[in-house]
Amino acid sequence: MTSSEGEVFDVELEVDILKENRRIADENRLRLRSKRIETIDVMGSVGSGKTSLIKEIVSRLKHSYRIAVIEGDVTTTIDADILAAEGIPTVQINTGKECHLDANLIRKALDISPLDKLDLIFIENVGNLICPAEFPLGSDKRLVVISVTEGPYMVLKHPMMFLDAQVVAINKIDLATAMGVDPDKLGNDVSRLNPRASAIHTSCKTGTGIDEVIKSLRLRPIN
Amino acid sequence: MHELSIATSLVEELSEIAKKQAATKVVTVRLRVGKLRLISLDQLRFSYEILSKGTLLEGSRLTIEETPGFTRCPNCHYVREFKTGDMLFHFTLPTMKCPECATALKIEGGDECLITQVRMILPSQPSERKVKTSAL
Repeated sequence: MTSSEGEVFDVELEVDILKENRRIADENRLRLRSKRIETIDVMGSVGSGKTSLIKEIVSRLKHSYRIAVIEGDVTTTIDADILAAEGIPTVQINTGKECHLDANLIRKALDISPLDKLDLIFIENVGNLICPAEFPLGSDKRLVVISVTEGPYMVLKHPMMFLDAQVVAINKIDLATAMGVDPDKLGNDVSRLNPRASAIHTSCKTGTGIDEVIKSLRLRPIN
Repeated sequence: MHELSIATSLVEELSEIAKKQAATKVVTVRLRVGKLRLISLDQLRFSYEILSKGTLLEGSRLTIEETPGFTRCPNCHYVREFKTGDMLFHFTLPTMKCPECATALKIEGGDECLITQVRMILPSQPSERKVKTSAL
């Protein structure tokens, strides 16, 4: 077949549009495994308490593991600074207008991380419950943080984020009564969506549930 | 906004495909997108239109075939198609817990995001270009 401009040519194929991200994610995973580093991707909305929860976990585990945090944020270093105060290395990724981290950004962060001196990396994703679900990073486990202050329908409204989660923290449990939100119902929504995930009530203010999150992530503090 | 990232990857992949064939222009692009990818097709088209400007892809038509989502229970073999209803923007997801036996369902289809066909214009070179490579 020809047209005035030249020859019309059809190619039939099956090219996965997201394969490049997946390929780099697999590369990241292999690289981390070869260094025996465990990686946990932490996701949740803006203000759900991701940084506070990581801080609580780090303060309980920093004598048992050599930990670093990769911080994804749109512009600031506020979260990275909070975690650096725990005395651990942090790598800041500012995504600018991009609403999620992707595998390539993580690869760059790994390039400048002291991988030979680490056992455990937390990756704090950009505060967003929609986009990060589409972009695997190469981590071993996914921890999703929601809070009672986000209202009673967070899980049902953003189901994709929970499908691949191993642990879901239902945070700010100390405010549940004031908010009139039933955390058990949020937990039921999680297990209805993803029966494999453990839903744990947490409060970074009172320390409730932090040890349970650590246990569910199969991490162990040295006593 | 992940549609913008997906459209960026799409434009990159297509440019690569067109370059390999030494095409002068891409005319139509066919995609197969599963409902479970939760991609807003309008946003994807809009992003594609903007990103393809000034490239070989400019003005090309995007045809998107949507495939249904299916889940299957690995325990009792219950199968269910995701029903999406008349939601304004995205879709609703039903439970991933088997209603028959409470096991975690597995996604069996509808999570793909593929380029399946590209129609492009090759420069006319009558005698030399008889042998074509049909696939990449």
